[in-house]
Amino acid sequence: MAQPDAPTSHALIHTLRQKHRDPNANHKHPINKAHYEGASRGERIADQVSAALGSWRFIIIQSTFLLAWAAVNYFGLLVYHWDPYPFILLNLVLSFQATYAGPIVLLAGNRHAQKDRITLEHMADEADKGEEQINRILIEIKKNTDLTLRILQELEAETA
Amino acid sequence: MSSDAQLTTARRTVAAKHKHPVNQLFHDEATLGERVADRTAAGIGSWWFLIIQSILIAIWVTLNSIEFFTHKWDLYPFILLNLMFTIQAAFTGPVLLLSGNRQAQKDRLRLEHTAEVAETAEKATLQILEEIERNTEATLKVLEHLKKRRDSKSPSGAPS
Repeated sequence: MAQPDAPTSHALIHTLRQKHRDPNANHKHPINKAHYEGASRGERIADQVSAALGSWRFIIIQSTFLLAWAAVNYFGLLVYHWDPYPFILLNLVLSFQATYAGPIVLLAGNRHAQKDRITLEHMADEADKGEEQINRILIEIKKNTDLTLRILQELEAETA
Repeated sequence: MSSDAQLTTARRTVAAKHKHPVNQLFHDEATLGERVADRTAAGIGSWWFLIIQSILIAIWVTLNSIEFFTHKWDLYPFILLNLMFTIQAAFTGPVLLLSGNRQAQKDRLRLEHTAEVAETAEKATLQILEEIERNTEATLKVLEHLKKRRDSKSPSGAPS
């Protein structure tokens, strides 16, 4: 009997590896399709903002900026000091960033929660489909057993 | 090792050699930046961090407010401490998003894996169904054959 042509785990991993780092990959799963490829304008911006803010690039740039600010104003590297120690303006700037980072974290979290919700809905649909298939198999096996039993009866009648 | 013990080990050690392809791609093949991101998120989101931070704050406030200590660097209302808090918050947001983005990436990858596996499973189920149907047809033919044999035997000379 022919084996189902399962993608070998090697080929599967290769496919997944390609999709791993690229959020715009051609998705196979309907939920990924709906979530990424069918995202609205606002959702796309939310994804992009959280991707930008949650990156090493941002963290490194912010650290450099912070150190530069403190260095210039503390050691007097330039003639003009706009925010002397203890850096009250820097405090305000960073508070401002944190004030926006909070809602953006929640934006990303909400979007993730939404995906989680539709994933479960999709799984429920899939489970129904699976159940239906199993029922079909069961009915078919029952038919088969009935026939085998009738054969047995025939044979028993013959030998009796 | 029992399955339970294996799971307990896997739960505590992120660096464990993983079995599931998504874990393999996501953890075992993580880049340096991703590894550091995971460690940082794990570090900040731990009781250790919370406890150490609380102790540092208590020391800072104590040293700067009680008469007994002579060297004071940040008098009431602790403007420098405020700046420290802000800096921490300004970095926590991005790290939170970094970790969240990484989880979203894993989620996306997991769904892709599910889709690949589900496709194989569905093919296999359909093949099982086809195979059983073939079996039923064969059994039906056997039954018909038996009936024909009985019919051709009984009129000429039924076995007494």
